[in-house]
Amino acid sequence: MSSLPMIPELLRQLMRKPATNLFPAKYLPPSVTEFLQSVASGKAHLTPPVETPPRFRGKIEYQRDGCIGCGLCVKVCPSHAIELLPETKRIRIWVDQCIFCSQCTDICPKGGLHMTDAFLLATEDRYEENLIVE
Amino acid sequence: MSEGSGRKAPYIIPIGPTHPALKEPVMFTFEMEGEMIKEVDFAPGQAHRGIEWMGMRRNPVQIVHLTDRICGICGVSHTFAFARAVEQIAEIEVPERADYIRALIAEFERIQSHLLWAGVAAHELGFDSLLHLTWRVREQSMDVIENLTGNRVNYGIIQVGGVRRDIVPEQHQVIEDCLNAYEGVISKLLELFLDDRSIALRCRDVGVLSHREALELCTVGPTARASGVNVDLRQDYPYSAYGDLDVRTILPDQYAGETRGDVYDRIVVRLLEVGQSCGIIRQCLDAMPAGEVTAEPKIAKLLAICKKASGEAIGRVEAPRGECFHYVRMEAQEAPHSWKVKASSYSNLMSWIPMLRGEQIADIPIIVASIDPCLSCTDRVAVIRGQRRDILSKEELHRLSVEATRRLQV
Amino acid sequence: MIGSWELAFIVLSAIIVTIYGIVVGLFLLGVDRKLAAHMQARVGPPIRQPFIDFRKLLIKENVIPENAIPWIFNLAPVMSLASSIVILLYLPIGSIYPPLGAYGDLILVMYLLTIPALCMVAGGFASGSPYASVGAQREMVTMIAYEFPLAIVVVAVAWRLAAAGIQDPFTLGSIAAYPLWSVAGPLGIIGGLLLLLVMAAVTPAELSRIPFDTQEAETELAGGLLVEYSGKNLAMFYLSQGVKTLVMAAIAVAVFIPWNLSSIVTLPEGVALVADLLFFLGKVILVMFFSVSLVRVAMARFQINRVVSVFWMYLGLIGLVGLLLLMADAALPAAGVLA
Ligand code: SF4
Ligand code: SF4
Repeated sequence: MSSLPMIPELLRQLMRKPATNLFPAKYLPPSVTEFLQSVASGKAHLTPPVETPPRFRGKIEYQRDGCIGCGLCVKVCPSHAIELLPETKRIRIWVDQCIFCSQCTDICPKGGLHMTDAFLLATEDRYEENLIVE
Repeated sequence: MSEGSGRKAPYIIPIGPTHPALKEPVMFTFEMEGEMIKEVDFAPGQAHRGIEWMGMRRNPVQIVHLTDRICGICGVSHTFAFARAVEQIAEIEVPERADYIRALIAEFERIQSHLLWAGVAAHELGFDSLLHLTWRVREQSMDVIENLTGNRVNYGIIQVGGVRRDIVPEQHQVIEDCLNAYEGVISKLLELFLDDRSIALRCRDVGVLSHREALELCTVGPTARASGVNVDLRQDYPYSAYGDLDVRTILPDQYAGETRGDVYDRIVVRLLEVGQSCGIIRQCLDAMPAGEVTAEPKIAKLLAICKKASGEAIGRVEAPRGECFHYVRMEAQEAPHSWKVKASSYSNLMSWIPMLRGEQIADIPIIVASIDPCLSCTDRVAVIRGQRRDILSKEELHRLSVEATRRLQV
Repeated sequence: MIGSWELAFIVLSAIIVTIYGIVVGLFLLGVDRKLAAHMQARVGPPIRQPFIDFRKLLIKENVIPENAIPWIFNLAPVMSLASSIVILLYLPIGSIYPPLGAYGDLILVMYLLTIPALCMVAGGFASGSPYASVGAQREMVTMIAYEFPLAIVVVAVAWRLAAAGIQDPFTLGSIAAYPLWSVAGPLGIIGGLLLLLVMAAVTPAELSRIPFDTQEAETELAGGLLVEYSGKNLAMFYLSQGVKTLVMAAIAVAVFIPWNLSSIVTLPEGVALVADLLFFLGKVILVMFFSVSLVRVAMARFQINRVVSVFWMYLGLIGLVGLLLLMADAALPAAGVLA
């Protein structure tokens, strides 16, 4: 088998466990929504996704109270995802536009912006409540 | 017995812009004689994203995140080159530790990029098991990158003036584990790719680019090196930490004893470079000095510095695919006055023509993939105002550049 | 002459065999995908995935390209499926004697095997797409290439049985009743193993699987022959792919591993039938694993000229050596004793 070195490798792998992380389930459920409902009611088991590393850059978190409305975060946001609302002097972040660069969290003088672990943000409506942080 | 003997009249096969063999949009027109390629032409320019246009409306701190996204694979090379250009213009001195971290990440990027390529190459050959295996191996470097930078793909680690995250002592162990794993697995990968008869049959003496053609067409990176051209920016023009590191160009004769400039040699060069990168990362870890990781931790201040800067500069970096080149001109404004990106694939595309001519249809996918083309990084819009459309010949270009040099000398 | 009773029997068995062929064929495709996935460290789709795919194809639009020749284009998939099912009628299933076993032999099966391939060629040429025509040309070349080694296998086995004084050596009934291994001496067994190797190499070519899948070559021809097919037509080709997989494995089983469980251990009547069927299925999966699943994940695709040289030179040669060994074995019946 020296000219086809893959064969022993493959046969060995046949006996081993697959490398795939079976998130969210072994096979695609016919309906994801129904699957999630049955997970919630404890009828099905959900395999968790691979863990995120420390200091992962996920969905942004905003502490409204400390914010002074300086607008620096707006200035550095590369994707124009942050909007400064003049009437309240607070910001609104459109997460559907955010590219998770964490530049705003670096510049905020009050440390009011943070990146969380949340990354399962896919949705069909980009203006969904979950995707607007204010 | 091949079909070539049966059917002689040339016919045209179009491939692209979308085709399973092409991972990126480009349009090929093949003039075929039986199964043999008689003539080939290609038309890039199928993907326009207006990145430079966007850049010219943003400040350098924002642009680094844009450069991260020029290429999905070279997430750091473009940023690296851009940051170096801006740092030269604004006269920012990058701390030494930051240089080492940049080099370290760049080498991890090379590892994952070359492994990704190897997997794609295997897939183009119809060898999907090898694709799955190499990508599984690649995953480890992705994990380390994610651990160091916070994300798998768009690293966001480089900022003008340095890097945004330090490498803390706990992370040394993570890197160390990954390097150990790679050093163990590299010989296995070499065996699986290079000793496999079915791969050798498909890659040996296929898509040959001679040393001379490689030079004449100004190819860069592994494509050039596989044809025996001794070029590697890390060695020839050591930037950042590379001046202190021992980097020697990898040429295929170091493995096979000869250089043929075929697809097989391109596999050799890339796989050996994975090993080389592991070595460079080790050197980085050992030699990394303590200290700051950025010249200006206050982003607001950095913005002010960049706003004052004026001048022009180029940043050059050896990306996994070859030289990546950024030209920036700033005129004391928030946004750069102009910004020009030349991705490595731009220099390599023309080498397709001599490689493809005279080969079989079956070899198109692997030859096209063998230069590791990245077209979304390469394609540009050219806006032509008015009806003017000039095509400059080599002589005219030469004359113009001589004139330009004269003007500078005055 | 065929009586009306017999005709009814044949029609009935044809219906049963059709259902059996399609179900088992799709099941085999599922098993193949599962095995391949596990070898590649993936989980892979569920084994019933081919059934799901088939159902999906049926509800998809059936596009006929503008410059296709519609009647050939539409007829090819049906013919391909029908002819593959017809072959099944000549092949023993477990311990069940093939319904048409009395009317045809291995030579006929060999001829019938070319029909699905020819249908694909016709369908490819009728698609009016350059990819499909290149695929069709390649399919023809491949067919010519593997036909020769396949013929050697068939002739060699039958010749050896004839030399041993067995009646009707070409009928699958006799081949199954007198396994080559029990007839031949040591030399013959070596020869038989070589022929088995040739058969194992012909199988992926017949089924257009890697490394001989040049006619479909996803990364080169984007599906080649099948590039223009969609919906119902593609579903028919998909079914015939499944049936062909069963056919090829069943031929290999019939020629090389024809034993039945019931002939080894004694079982009660009803149980024996089921046990034999399961045993047969096991053998088919085993053959498929080694000649299709393992090979297709362990190799790169050949170029078409390489396919030809592999079959004509290497496998042709191996087949001939096998044939010579079998002949030597028959000529020197005492060779085994002497050695
Ligand atoms: S993380 Fe980046 S893209 Fe997202 S809001 Fe902050 S600066 Fe904008
Ligand atoms: S930078 Fe911080 S303090 Fe300033 S507006 Fe943004 S969130 Fe508020």
